[in-house]
Amino acid sequence: MMDAFDDRLDEAARALAERLPELDASLDDRIMARIRERAVDSPQLSVDSKPVNRRLSTVDWFLKPQPVRVRPVWLGLALAAVLVLLLVPRGSRTATPTAAVATADTVYVRFQVAAPAARNVAVAGSFNGWDAATLPLRRVADGSWEATIALPVGEHRYQFVVDGQRWIPDPSAQAQVDDGFGGTNSVIVVGPKGVVRS
Amino acid sequence: MVEPSDGTVVRRVREGDVESFRILVTRYRRQYGRYAAALTGDADSAADAMQEAFIRAWESLDSCRDPDRFGSWFFRILTNQCHTARGRRRDTDDVDALEIAARERTDESLERAELAQALAAALGRLTGEQREAFVLKHVDGRSYEEMAVLLGTGVDALKMRVHRARDALRTMMGALR
Repeated sequence: MMDAFDDRLDEAARALAERLPELDASLDDRIMARIRERAVDSPQLSVDSKPVNRRLSTVDWFLKPQPVRVRPVWLGLALAAVLVLLLVPRGSRTATPTAAVATADTVYVRFQVAAPAARNVAVAGSFNGWDAATLPLRRVADGSWEATIALPVGEHRYQFVVDGQRWIPDPSAQAQVDDGFGGTNSVIVVGPKGVVRS
Repeated sequence: MVEPSDGTVVRRVREGDVESFRILVTRYRRQYGRYAAALTGDADSAADAMQEAFIRAWESLDSCRDPDRFGSWFFRILTNQCHTARGRRRDTDDVDALEIAARERTDESLERAELAQALAAALGRLTGEQREAFVLKHVDGRSYEEMAVLLGTGVDALKMRVHRARDALRTMMGALR
């Protein structure tokens, strides 16, 4: 039921709407200047690289999907081996992503960060449209958070999002780049056999 | 002259036509600029958030699965940037002082500008979800159906968010009664 407060709140919303500024058209020039700089600096940035064609080594044979016939019991054992590879605990509390090969051009990367006081943590980056909602990390016993995510081969930039509000770079990433606004993006380079550089 | 669709522009940019990206910049700076200003609390922060959102959109354009719906995909990137900008601003501004000033005023002395200022300050105390829902509904004047498309959330859930935002604002802005 509407009361006097509701009326005043609606009036306040209208008053605020009347006073909101339009963003100046000169902003378009500034944005395009930044886009052009980035297009020149890293023309391949948004294009995931393809795995290089090469002869398969013995290790590759086990890591890459191959068109072979197997009995169901061996298939089960193979799946169990992949699960062990993905779920084996790592000792580090830092956020260095670890990886396992998923398909020919996709690699499972484990993101991990220590944030004991956080209520929730997610990872957002160039691989998911910088969406803070789609890739949550799960809390593990020691106050750190982790998630294993399939990433395409190529270079990706990312940050962790703490409590849905605070964007922080990966403290243990080996490569960090200025995001142009006083913040920092972490860089991960995923190769066909795993993380090349993070 | 008919403007090219979002999908057409995105495909051009993906093929290497960087300058076509300006069409999207202008289109969505106009459509979402006031929303960004309401969410961040001031025009400078909104401009920063808008610029950062477009750069991130350009960098990850290959992950935009439906180029014809670039607008709603970009809207989510922008919303995240606005929350980040608001968080940075909150670290440096004396937001509480604004709220106290609003509370001390009597009904009679509240001019429309002061009403707007009090609401702008109180919006900063809402959760991110409540703030974007309230702004879209009551400041931007959008329908729940439009909001559902932009936020990727059901109409009923959005009605609940707006309702809770109003309840929270009632608690914070009791002096408006």
